[in-house]
Amino acid sequence: MILGLTALLIAGAAAAWVTGRAAEHTHWVNHTYDVEIAIGRIQTLIEQKETSRRGYILTGIGTYLDTERATAARIDPAIEELEKLTIDNPHQGARIGELRRRLDEIGVQQDKTIALVQQGKNAEAVTSFTTETYVRRMRDVRALLDAMVADESRLLEGRDDAQRQTTNTFYLILAVAGVLIVLVAGVSTATILRYTRDLGSARDRLQLLNTDLEGAVAERTADLTRANEEIQRFAYIVSHDLRSPLVNVMGFTAELEAATTTLRDFIDGAEKRAPGIITDEARIAAREDLPEAIGFIRTSTQKMDRLINAILRLSREGRRVLTPEPLSIADIAGNVRGSLIHLADEREAEIVIETPLPTLVSDRVAIEQVLSNLVENAIKYLSPDRPGRIVIRGRSERDRRTIEVADNGRGIAEADHARIFDLFRRSGAQDQPGEGIGLAHVRALVYRLGGTIDVTSTLGVGTIFTVSLPAQLIDTGALS
Amino acid sequence: MNDHHSVSIVMIEDDEGHARLIEKNIRRAGILNDITHFTDGTTALDYLYNDKRGPALNGPALILLDLNLPDMSGTDILAKIKRDDSPLKRTPVVVLTTTDDKVEIQRCYDLGCNVYITKPVNYESFAQAIRQLGLFLSVIQVPDISDS
Repeated sequence: MILGLTALLIAGAAAAWVTGRAAEHTHWVNHTYDVEIAIGRIQTLIEQKETSRRGYILTGIGTYLDTERATAARIDPAIEELEKLTIDNPHQGARIGELRRRLDEIGVQQDKTIALVQQGKNAEAVTSFTTETYVRRMRDVRALLDAMVADESRLLEGRDDAQRQTTNTFYLILAVAGVLIVLVAGVSTATILRYTRDLGSARDRLQLLNTDLEGAVAERTADLTRANEEIQRFAYIVSHDLRSPLVNVMGFTAELEAATTTLRDFIDGAEKRAPGIITDEARIAAREDLPEAIGFIRTSTQKMDRLINAILRLSREGRRVLTPEPLSIADIAGNVRGSLIHLADEREAEIVIETPLPTLVSDRVAIEQVLSNLVENAIKYLSPDRPGRIVIRGRSERDRRTIEVADNGRGIAEADHARIFDLFRRSGAQDQPGEGIGLAHVRALVYRLGGTIDVTSTLGVGTIFTVSLPAQLIDTGALS
Repeated sequence: MNDHHSVSIVMIEDDEGHARLIEKNIRRAGILNDITHFTDGTTALDYLYNDKRGPALNGPALILLDLNLPDMSGTDILAKIKRDDSPLKRTPVVVLTTTDDKVEIQRCYDLGCNVYITKPVNYESFAQAIRQLGLFLSVIQVPDISDS
């Protein structure tokens, strides 16, 4: 583009320059003609003066003399004019000087013959005329003038050449500029065509993308739903299938216990009637080893049963249909406080609800469970050093609602901040009953509500759980 | 039940341990009827419909059905038994399974199951539930197949 513009500018500049040169050349051509005309006039005048002198010498008639004088008077101004015209040319100046000298010499001779005629010495004048070197001198003058004309002609020729060259250069520049412009035009056209094509294909792609976007979103959602369903199904199947063998373990443990009781009674009876047949091993086996083993199997299976039930509950919770409705967090917090106030009183802790609390559209049961789990945790893990204080507070940020449960309890070690949300993971001293399910459950619920949960805590100072929820729960339907 | 020896109990239960525990507890409740045990759906269905001693060809029966079977779902068996053209459609079916899923329970009753019992994991509850079932079985009336 810039190249094309430059070419155009160069062509324009060249045209201007060439026009200037042409005008100058015309001026010089005219000048040359002027010079030639001036030289011609001088020559004519010289010839005329000579012709008049000859006429006067031959006839002695005064008219010739008058003509001769008049002509002679016009020669000097003509030469001066020529001198002015050729003032820039020292060669011509020199020649004009020469011309003047020659003409003066001729003038002296001429004046001499004219004076003789005026004195009536006509014969002498004619003799003088025939003997004078006038012809040679006149030839020299003519040669001089011819040389001057030739010089001017040569100059003109040179100027013509220069003009031709200029014109040629101009044509060359014009041709180059033309080629450049054509090239640039071609490149520009190609570029524009390519851009247009790119633009067209980009627009087509965009259109395709637009039409596909909804499909893509639907596809992703379907994928996500499928993945979630799979996890739920997996959790369900695993927990369910684990339950079956557990029934056997617990069932036969009970049978074993019943059998052990029978055995112990038998040993007790035998010991009374025939102590000799009871060995120490048999006694210890029936009274200590068997009950101990059965006791351990029992507690382990009971724990396993609780864990499996927890997984089942989580999986069931994940499949529950969410029903968004307008909720006041203040109301929910009040309910939670009401249901946990006895536990809090037992532990000498207070639950403070800081108003105002925001409102949102979400699932009531889920939010109640989240809040009650967090508050219950706070009550469970208070610091024994100080009276417990649990604060529920919240705020609105554009389309998000934040609920915080802050306590002054024993705190959670930094290393455990991520771990506490994992299933069956607990932090700190294991002095409270629980399976490590509550926070996993809370996180699963918060995620289902389209929210996030974070914890900030300092060991020995307190803990803040921050739940961020969308102000408006988008109902994705049941995931089951 | 009508007659302790005429009504046979068909137990379809893939877990041998469960089967044993169920049988023990039913016996403890004083039920002395024959109990025929199957661990998979295919042989159970074959016995129910085609065996000479099976309920379809030989007298009344009561079916104890587990839903989790290796070869087919218990609900499929239930649907087959309770179908309109089935000779066993009036045969009482007791679903005895570990599943306590609401949807599953609803579905079983929709298909025509007569009693649905969730096996408690806790053995005391389990034993008690089975014993109560045994007591229940001892008083219910089972229709004759030939009546259909």
